[in-house]
Amino acid sequence: MRQPSVIARRVAAASVSLVVAAGAAACGPEDSDAKGAGGDSTPHKGGTLTVLNAQPQSDFDPARLYTSGGGNVPSLVFRTLTTRNRENGAAGAKVVPDLATDTGRPNKDATVWTYTLKKGLKYEDGTPITSADIKYGIERSFAPELSGGAPYLRDWLVGAAGYQGPYKDKKGLSAIETPDARTIVFHLVKPEGEFPYLATQTQFAPVPKGKDTGTKYESHPVSSGPYKVVKNENDGEHLVLERNTHWSAATDEERKAYPDTIDVRSGLDSSVINQRLSASQGADAAAVTTDTNLGPAELAKVSGDKELAARVGTGHFGYTNYLAFNPKVKPFDKPEVRQAIAYAIDRSSVVNAAGGSALAEPATTFLPNQKSFGYTAYDPFPAGASGNPAKARELLAKAGHKNGLTLTLTHSNSKDFETSPEIATAVQDALKKAGITVKLQGLEDNDYRDKIHSVKTEPGLFLAHWGADWPSGGPFLAPIFDGRQIVKDGANFNTGQLDDKSVNDEIDAINKLTDLDAAARRWGALDKKIGDKALVVPLFHPVYKRLYGKDVKNIVISDWTGVLDISQVAVK
Amino acid sequence: MSEALAVVGTAGTDTSVPAVSGARQFWRRLRAQRAALVAAAVVALLVLVALAAPLLTALEGQDPTTYHPTLIDSARGGVPLGSLGGVSADHWLGVEPQTGRDMFARLVYGARVSLGVSLAATLIQVLLGVAMGVAAGLGNRWVDLVISRVTDIFVSMPLMIMALALLAIVPSGFPRPVLVALIISLVAGWSTVAKMVRAQTLALKNLDYVSASRLSGWSTWRTATRELLPGLAAPVITYAALLVPSDISAEAALSFLGVGVQPPTPSWGQMLTSADVWYQAAPQYLLLPALALFVTVFAMTVLGDGVRVALDPRAASRLRVGTGRKREARARAAVPGDAPRKEERP
Repeated sequence: MRQPSVIARRVAAASVSLVVAAGAAACGPEDSDAKGAGGDSTPHKGGTLTVLNAQPQSDFDPARLYTSGGGNVPSLVFRTLTTRNRENGAAGAKVVPDLATDTGRPNKDATVWTYTLKKGLKYEDGTPITSADIKYGIERSFAPELSGGAPYLRDWLVGAAGYQGPYKDKKGLSAIETPDARTIVFHLVKPEGEFPYLATQTQFAPVPKGKDTGTKYESHPVSSGPYKVVKNENDGEHLVLERNTHWSAATDEERKAYPDTIDVRSGLDSSVINQRLSASQGADAAAVTTDTNLGPAELAKVSGDKELAARVGTGHFGYTNYLAFNPKVKPFDKPEVRQAIAYAIDRSSVVNAAGGSALAEPATTFLPNQKSFGYTAYDPFPAGASGNPAKARELLAKAGHKNGLTLTLTHSNSKDFETSPEIATAVQDALKKAGITVKLQGLEDNDYRDKIHSVKTEPGLFLAHWGADWPSGGPFLAPIFDGRQIVKDGANFNTGQLDDKSVNDEIDAINKLTDLDAAARRWGALDKKIGDKALVVPLFHPVYKRLYGKDVKNIVISDWTGVLDISQVAVK
Repeated sequence: MSEALAVVGTAGTDTSVPAVSGARQFWRRLRAQRAALVAAAVVALLVLVALAAPLLTALEGQDPTTYHPTLIDSARGGVPLGSLGGVSADHWLGVEPQTGRDMFARLVYGARVSLGVSLAATLIQVLLGVAMGVAAGLGNRWVDLVISRVTDIFVSMPLMIMALALLAIVPSGFPRPVLVALIISLVAGWSTVAKMVRAQTLALKNLDYVSASRLSGWSTWRTATRELLPGLAAPVITYAALLVPSDISAEAALSFLGVGVQPPTPSWGQMLTSADVWYQAAPQYLLLPALALFVTVFAMTVLGDGVRVALDPRAASRLRVGTGRKREARARAAVPGDAPRKEERP
């Protein structure tokens, strides 16, 4: 089950977005470090970085975390076989080696992946990290009591479907071999060219068997990264990280680790976080957030203030908000009706409802507008900026609805500017011009999610969103459009209930590719092909805007997470 | 309370005082209170505005649902362009952030929901409360016991929690304003009316004129409608006048929690919900519905108190301004035994 909301929220929770250019501007005139006109923007070691978050870092166990690319705070403590490239923009959407010497060596059909560990890797207690520890870390993520991670390992590894973890099943997973202390080999049930992306997740972090305390491990997981946990209060609400002296920058090209201490404080209200960051007083001057965006009203206030505007970072995370159809429900079985809605949509008013042009970009493709996803520009039903109601009426007449029609749009009542009433009302207003009367059905958020993800209760027309586990077309398209992933009982994400052999076959074919650039191009082409079917109407891709404190330097925002990477930040 | 009853009670029975004098007396006492008059005028104006909403917006040339994307700054979160939230000759109170919908139109249409729902809820509360209260008061021991325990249960029900639960299970096809009115009236309010009416009924039951009616063989129904109800009018009207503002607040609170009327139908509570984050960037967005709500609730409360005082002249007003108490006291001193004469008023 890939819970889009969970993915989105966890990933969002692991994210902060800041612009690079703002790095230099971060040193205001009040900054005592400022030297001359330009200020000293060179990052230095030392100091305490405060992280102000809404969501606590609960279940801080590498087996239980659901992250994209290893997460933000977790990535300071857990190193993985591979990791995301800590660079700005599109370069940051690449997968790079972390504990391993390369991103993995596949066999011919990408069903066997081999990794070799770097030399001189150590835990926080100075003991060496071995390939058996990585195998053990993966195995314990199968234990029912340590659930929470992404489902890929169970789907992909040979013989993993019924595996219950190392506590119950001492033999371990035969799909993972460790011929020596530095080599680890994975055997997969089918070709998976994107295995290196999966190896960025925290389940691939080493766990020393002798130190494993089961469910209690999360209070003090053994660090392989630049920081170790010295305090964890209220299940991750207050986390204090200090330097791991056995970590060596020589083996880690990705993490900069400038601050001496990281103080993560969570459970805060989002308006409080933004208020504290804009005031930037005391310890908050060296503060960032990894999970709280500026809302429309906050952006309006911040953009009117030059000093604040200079402390806003912008990032893009691969994410799409869309209108979804259930073609099993009338009148959405008729392609003309779906196309008419696609033509009628007013993306400028939808974008405004989502927070305006600074917080959302109009979308005509299902894939996010980033190269790593294989983004191929297309617009099968060009509606322009504000809709083409005339064309929509024409199509409706063709479908036998000459006098317009009345539809129900299901949405959530949460205040998230994604699937919330504001967006639904903007859609309603746009369709009115095409003679379509839209009735709104606002549901409580959990109810809404249950309804849209069950084939039995799925409404005909609803607001939806999707974010990927890693920046590639695979986890973006397959769960939504692969016919074999239609789940009859349980959570179904193929809401268009598309089961097209040519689409399924193409997904299999692309999964075989280990050349990720070539794969990306084919995902893009497949997206275009599916787009013509009008099973969804892409609405917008969100843009993340986040504030950071006055003293924060060296801001790096990758397209992988769309947020400031705290492994790069300096406060001195 | 009993004095108040006596005043109107006499009007209902065939004593020496003419039947019209009760109403006339009430009207005279109400008019004597300047604050209540102003409040009544404000309430009348609000009702008029709510009724004339389509007319007023037509006059302005706007409607509450049309988007005006050109009037907002999309790059700055959708904040209205221009001063005071985009106030102009076309948009008298500016436009809404993010959508550009007309604030004046939304405010006057919002009045329809806020006033309509609260007045309807109050009416249901009063009807139900009086029916249950009289039934309990006049019925036998068992009827009284059952009704009283049911009333107790409803008195102790938390409105917001019950409303959230009920709204979640009712099919979404059910018209929301009606549903909200029903929930407010059924869950809250009627039970307190019922308890009060029951107590009054028990007190009145033993008065001579009621006993006379019963002994002369009139049915319970006739006794209740002809003899009891006039006596109950004063406390019930008084209580109803105070229920209206509390129902307005309840509607606003439910809409604020996102379970009231559904968008794009505007209601003040709903406007407040979406406006709360905008208090710094676009203050008028929050202030306008807040002010409207405040004025309405305040006017209703003052009017309610005025009604109470007029029906029960011997009870002191809870309000200390504009109630005309001093003047009335002077007038009483001048003309013992009755309210001030017309010519003595300024």
